[in-house]
Amino acid sequence: MPTVATDPIVLSALLAELALRQLPCGGWAALASSSQPAIEPTCYSALVLGSAPVGNIERAQQFLLRTQNPNGSWPVFPEDDKEGGWVTSLAVMALRDLAWAIPARMQGIHWLLSFAGRESNWFWKWKFRTADRHVRFDPDKYGWPWFPDTVSWVVPTAFSILALDQIPCACDGLEHVASRIDCGIQMLFDRACPGGGWNAGNGVVYGTALAPHADDTAIALLALNDRVQHPVVQSGVQYLERVAPTLSAPSSLAWAILALAAHGRPIAPLSNSLAAFPDLSSIEDTSTLALVCLALDQQRALEAFGVAL
Amino acid sequence: MSLTRRDFLAGSAALAAGATVTAPFLLPKYHSDQRRKRSRVAVLDSQRYSQQLDQIVFSGLRLFPIDVRGKTVVLKPNLVDYIPGNAINTHPLLVLAAAESFRRLGAKSVLVAEGPGHQRDTQLVLSQSGNAQALRDERIRFVDLNRDQLIRTPLRASYTGIKDLWLPRTVLEADFLVSMPKIKTHHWSGVTLSLKNMFGVVPGARYGWPKNILHWKGIQESILDLCATVPIHFVIADGIVAMEGNGPLNGTPRPMGKIVLADDPVAADATCARLMGFEPDRIVHIREGSRFLGNSALERLDQVGETVNAPATPFGVVPEFEHLRSF
Repeated sequence: MPTVATDPIVLSALLAELALRQLPCGGWAALASSSQPAIEPTCYSALVLGSAPVGNIERAQQFLLRTQNPNGSWPVFPEDDKEGGWVTSLAVMALRDLAWAIPARMQGIHWLLSFAGRESNWFWKWKFRTADRHVRFDPDKYGWPWFPDTVSWVVPTAFSILALDQIPCACDGLEHVASRIDCGIQMLFDRACPGGGWNAGNGVVYGTALAPHADDTAIALLALNDRVQHPVVQSGVQYLERVAPTLSAPSSLAWAILALAAHGRPIAPLSNSLAAFPDLSSIEDTSTLALVCLALDQQRALEAFGVAL
Repeated sequence: MSLTRRDFLAGSAALAAGATVTAPFLLPKYHSDQRRKRSRVAVLDSQRYSQQLDQIVFSGLRLFPIDVRGKTVVLKPNLVDYIPGNAINTHPLLVLAAAESFRRLGAKSVLVAEGPGHQRDTQLVLSQSGNAQALRDERIRFVDLNRDQLIRTPLRASYTGIKDLWLPRTVLEADFLVSMPKIKTHHWSGVTLSLKNMFGVVPGARYGWPKNILHWKGIQESILDLCATVPIHFVIADGIVAMEGNGPLNGTPRPMGKIVLADDPVAADATCARLMGFEPDRIVHIREGSRFLGNSALERLDQVGETVNAPATPFGVVPEFEHLRSF
């Protein structure tokens, strides 16, 4: 396993900053300047602070339990509409290993199983096959959308696969987990960019191949960590290895480090580059700050994402 | 012919039923007419991105009776994604020139805000497009609208049927919002100018990347609902190097040498469309927007600066939008 020990002083300073940003409600806001708690930064923070000696992880977990929607999903932020959305998969992962959160987690998992891209419906499948063909994709291969009544996209699909992959058994109404995961994986293969890697999910539009994004590619590769021999995965890894040293923003670099570590690629120079970014503690985006911490502690981060090492 | 009470009641019932069926199609879909009596547009010549933009933009703004003293000015450029060699994003030197000009005009604060629609890593777009360094050097605050604090906001038009959207506080609380689009063709909406640029205020963290709800509800309809709800006070459009063809990402750079300033986004977009060789009334959101958001008709525009001449060759478009060309 090619994980590296990064400068512990850098990591502990970032963890301390992350802990400082925790709101009285237990959650974290998306931006340091905001006081509106949100689920995404809270989940990343909970994942990274899981065994760190700073921050109040239990308060964060309680916050997640309190904000769950009646239908089992999670809102993007507490005041949000109650229909639920893509952050449900993150919440399910953040509550892993907590016996007292099992019922909430199971509700979340059942909701994820009922949640699918609109192209899973026969009517939209037909429309995409006949009338709406400017974006090239196979509507038989569907995953998860960002929120209800829209089509599947790469990032919510990859997060949902990671969350469902953590389920230990296919019992109690979870018999369809394997087939949903497989359909999601096929969707990821289908939506890859022709030159390798992924963007949001539009590989070819109007006959033109679109460029991949490092972070979307990395998140897809995390979800495909047990498909290393597949040619689409291999070309995604090659793209990410090529682009990672050029990344000039910490979020994309952090995701790239996690994905390349999951695929057994050398990451020491990338970790050093990430730790050397100026003013990491003053990153305005709290999700990015938490992701940097995760990337600097890859082994625990990959365990949290359920990635087999 | 005598009319019995029974005939009268039956006729009234028929009229009422007819009105119930047809009213939704006849009633306007906007809450209020926001058009000013006349709108002002300035087309400025500028052949390249240089430090001279400071003076060009400042002189251009002086052609308008705007007062930003003591106000919070939010500049909303078009930052979507970065592909080397493609003219996708509003150029950082134009953003800086605008910021500097509004500071000179007495703004209390000037900040730049955007929520990229393709690239989730906003800092990466900022960095690769040259905006991060430029904003840092000039100490201009940037707000990531994809992750800003959100406020549930009822929409002030009903083209999409959406009742409300969660929108970023920074934009809703701005005293003076400046849309700074890159002049481009767009494979879904024909053009992307100051009105379409407002898709960037819809938060990705809530609605995803791309902002798929707006596509499902209709791009032209979504533009109208958004712009009715979040008023654009001024436009500075980057047409120094524009984009034609398969925009907004993979089109071809098209040197145009123009900056378009306007106190009305519909007037700005109609003017940009004419400069691109398009008939503004053939662009759905400009045509419909001219009924309540602003003016597109030449007789209601005060044109200052350079003359608006159609180009010798209209901008290239994908086949679905060939009909936009005015010749």
